[in-house]
Amino acid sequence: MDTLALKASGINKNFYDPVTFQVLKNISFEVKKGEFVSIIGKSGCGKSTLLYVLSTMDTDYQGELSINEQKVTGLSLNELAAIRNASIGFVFQFHYLLPDFTCLKNVMIPALRLGKLSYQEVEHKAYERLKILGVEDQALKRADKLSGGQQQRIAIARALINEPAIIMGDEPTGNLDSKNSNIVFDIFKQLAHELKQTIITVTHDEDFAHKSDRIIEMSDGEIIAGH
Amino acid sequence: MKISVNTEIALTYLSARKKQTLIASMGVMFGISMFIFMQSLMKGTNDYFEKMSFNTTPHIRLYSENKVADNHMMLSYLKDPSFKLLTNPKQLIQTQGIINPYGIIHEILKNPQIYAVTPQVTADVIYTSGSVQLNGNIAGVNIIEEDRMFDIQGNMQSGDFHDVDRVNKGILIGKGIADKLSLHTGDNITVRSGTGSPAIMKIVGIYATTIKQIDETKSYANIVQVQNLLGKDRSYVTDIKINLKDYNNAPAVAKELETLTGYKVEDWVKANEQLKAAFKIRAVILNSVIGVILLVAGFGIYNILNMTIYEKIKEIAILKATGFSGRSVISIFLQQAVYIGLMGGVVGILFGFFITYMVSRIYIGAGTLKYLPMSFYVPHYIEAICFGVLTTLAAGFFPSKKASRVDPVKIIRG
Repeated sequence: MDTLALKASGINKNFYDPVTFQVLKNISFEVKKGEFVSIIGKSGCGKSTLLYVLSTMDTDYQGELSINEQKVTGLSLNELAAIRNASIGFVFQFHYLLPDFTCLKNVMIPALRLGKLSYQEVEHKAYERLKILGVEDQALKRADKLSGGQQQRIAIARALINEPAIIMGDEPTGNLDSKNSNIVFDIFKQLAHELKQTIITVTHDEDFAHKSDRIIEMSDGEIIAGH
Repeated sequence: MKISVNTEIALTYLSARKKQTLIASMGVMFGISMFIFMQSLMKGTNDYFEKMSFNTTPHIRLYSENKVADNHMMLSYLKDPSFKLLTNPKQLIQTQGIINPYGIIHEILKNPQIYAVTPQVTADVIYTSGSVQLNGNIAGVNIIEEDRMFDIQGNMQSGDFHDVDRVNKGILIGKGIADKLSLHTGDNITVRSGTGSPAIMKIVGIYATTIKQIDETKSYANIVQVQNLLGKDRSYVTDIKINLKDYNNAPAVAKELETLTGYKVEDWVKANEQLKAAFKIRAVILNSVIGVILLVAGFGIYNILNMTIYEKIKEIAILKATGFSGRSVISIFLQQAVYIGLMGGVVGILFGFFITYMVSRIYIGAGTLKYLPMSFYVPHYIEAICFGVLTTLAAGFFPSKKASRVDPVKIIRG
């Protein structure tokens, strides 16, 4: 159980526009496999910026980042895309499904991109994920015909499809009412504890954060609690 | 068949925006069908004019030209290079025509590219009927060979051209001559050449080409009749006309024959330089029109893909977040362009064929030209679809490149 899902050491990041401003200051921490971590802090403290650095989408930083004990700092954009595809699942605040596709297709697309399984196997797996999240009856509807809570669950199913090392959430409950927030939280908890899924979320939601395994609190670009 | 996920996404985007896809591919369709239509019309017209020019000119014409007198004979007689002869160059009139024409014809026929060879005597003449006179020229020919080479039958207005051989002093005249002298088949006409005595000939037929100048001057008679008219013997021949199996080889064969015979040999390309110039001008006009059409179609695709990318920018960010590389994104959008191009291309080819066919049925009725000359030439259709796909690829490339550069962090964080 001691393998690391993610390790960040000495991450610094500056914004240059309109004036130079250090948004992340020497951030170092580790996340073990199967941990459910919440990053909290006030608006503008840099927590979302940190998440996007961890997600490998933002490459403009100093320091070193490893995912699944593989160093990702300095890899090319195409290699990073492949790592995101295989090892990271995303859940965003505004679910961000592809509205022209059915829910099932939305879930399947990252797995089809990965190309390890046949189409039928991917389809079967996608149905399984939708079943875990209780939305399998919506599978063949177009994504933009669903309610916000349902869409968020589809997005979680999509994040899960490639059995990623880490699921990253950017305010995954930020746009949901308390009932749906609880459902999403329960799903995350279940994933972490039963499927040993590593989860890192950025959230404003105090209740949500306090129910997770570990809280990293940030202020002015530094981690102030939760090492 | 397993289709890749990029293809699947491209197709879904296309089918989710049916109207725009349709409009974009209609742009390509019009471009391609116009391409085919214009190409067919041009090739048809060019072929027609080429054929027309072969109605009156042979692929190759061999004739004896007046030469400039020079002093090389004198010099070879004197055998002394220290002599400097001063001469006044003058044109020498070759009254003899071609020397040993039948020997030359025999030699020419050995060339495997030759389709037909016929000797001819041409002479400037004055036609007289009653008190009206008309300048023109008469061609003494073997009328059967002439028909084989120039399709006399297709131009016949009245009478039978075979009578040129069958009727004593039979003559076949152009419609212009007949109209000006108000003559009909069966009438007599007086023909006078510069050297011989006038002859009264019998009109056995009237022909009409679309070229007024020929119809108003030229007449045909048996070669022997014309030799008689000029007071020359049976070996007097002024021109040898040669047709080839493939007229495109004419310049090369002409050169060979010139070295072989030593006479002036002119191919149809030289004889019809204005025709070639017209072909070239038409090609320039056509290509610029087609270029503009395809450019407009290309801009249509460019525009629509650009709009798609603005609309889908969030989805592109999501695709990149879930692990689609820049190359995959280019593939998704470029494929959309190619499908639009192919769809427009296929329909465009059908539509182009349809227009070409319909226009080829339009009655014109000018001279021997009854319908608009259109060619149905398969390479045009292949070219058209290649151009269509190339245009769409070029038009799709820049928007796709732009899509691949979308920074997902910027878009998702807002």
